[in-house]
Amino acid sequence: MSAPPPQLPAKVAPANAESYRLEGDLPMVDHPAVPFVEIETVRAQEFIPAAKEALSALIAEQGQSKVIRPTFNWAGRNSLFPLHWGLACCAIEFASAFSARWDSERFGIVPRSSPQQCDLMIVNGTVTWKVAHKLITLYEQMPEPKWVIAMGNCATGGGPFRTAYSVVPGVDKLVPVDVYIAGCPPRPEAMIDGILRLEDLIRERKE
Amino acid sequence: MQSEDLAKALAPVLGDRILGVEPFAKTAGRLRFRADAALDVFRAVKEDLGFHHLSMVGGIDWVSHREVFYVAWSDRLGQYLLLSTDLPADAPHIESATPVWPSANWHERETWELVDITFDHHPDLRHLLLPDGYVFHPLLRSFKLHEPEELEVKKRSV
Ligand code: SF4
Repeated sequence: MSAPPPQLPAKVAPANAESYRLEGDLPMVDHPAVPFVEIETVRAQEFIPAAKEALSALIAEQGQSKVIRPTFNWAGRNSLFPLHWGLACCAIEFASAFSARWDSERFGIVPRSSPQQCDLMIVNGTVTWKVAHKLITLYEQMPEPKWVIAMGNCATGGGPFRTAYSVVPGVDKLVPVDVYIAGCPPRPEAMIDGILRLEDLIRERKE
Repeated sequence: MQSEDLAKALAPVLGDRILGVEPFAKTAGRLRFRADAALDVFRAVKEDLGFHHLSMVGGIDWVSHREVFYVAWSDRLGQYLLLSTDLPADAPHIESATPVWPSANWHERETWELVDITFDHHPDLRHLLLPDGYVFHPLLRSFKLHEPEELEVKKRSV
């Protein structure tokens, strides 16, 4: 005989259920017509804090480790996925860095089209105030850990358009930048060099 | 078509609502009209003369006054026509050309935000190139370029 099916927890919200509510009520929690969703939600409410606690304990313990952290950094720095986008003329050099001649893929740098698959944002061009909040949205959609490279004079400090009425004077006013690449535009070699310097930074990463 | 022919064709329709037609390089002419009769002039130019396509709207700040100009294209004639009118420097406004040429929509939004000419009865007068809430009109002569103010540099949290 097979074992009896596992008992689902009773349909009561845990005492701290309130803290997992979003603004206003989640419609599915109290809805009597969808008991399955309700049970799953209650389960998730018990599971999420426990999982969070266990995970942060694990990270705190292994962050100091001589094995886990270097392995993590090794994997991270050899598979940097930059966001595949272009803002201005520097994007031409960005594109040619992935062409047959410079072939950045030999360093494991593969541009992805969705920010949710990326850990590196290369700001390749002039950032205007009109596009600023879209840039921040893309940055916030990228999962941690994430890095930003400011490519070209425009992204580092506004470049030739520094005094213009619509240009952000450097993308570091919007998001934290790890590596700056000078040039107008930088050659693809310079971009690859910048990424290799970022890899050095990741190699030293402790947290 | 020459500018004299244009003036002759428009005179019976528009009368004194046009101030004159001058020759202008590489176009059929430059038609000056009274700003308060703008819609009538646009209709006549489109329907009577056959300038069906409006290819641009722009504005000029002459300090003493503003000028707004329209460039219309006729497939039949294979020619451009320039229409322009002067507006007062304080609170310049003119009737929107969108009922006649729908393509005027974005051009008028751009002219409004850069040269501060208001287009009355425009369906959607918002910023086009500049961010929402931008208070300056950067193509006015009184707008000065300046070093950007010092902004805080963002730091990594992790
Ligand atoms: S730095 Fe030069 S090449 Fe790069 S986006 Fe700015 S103007 Fe264009």
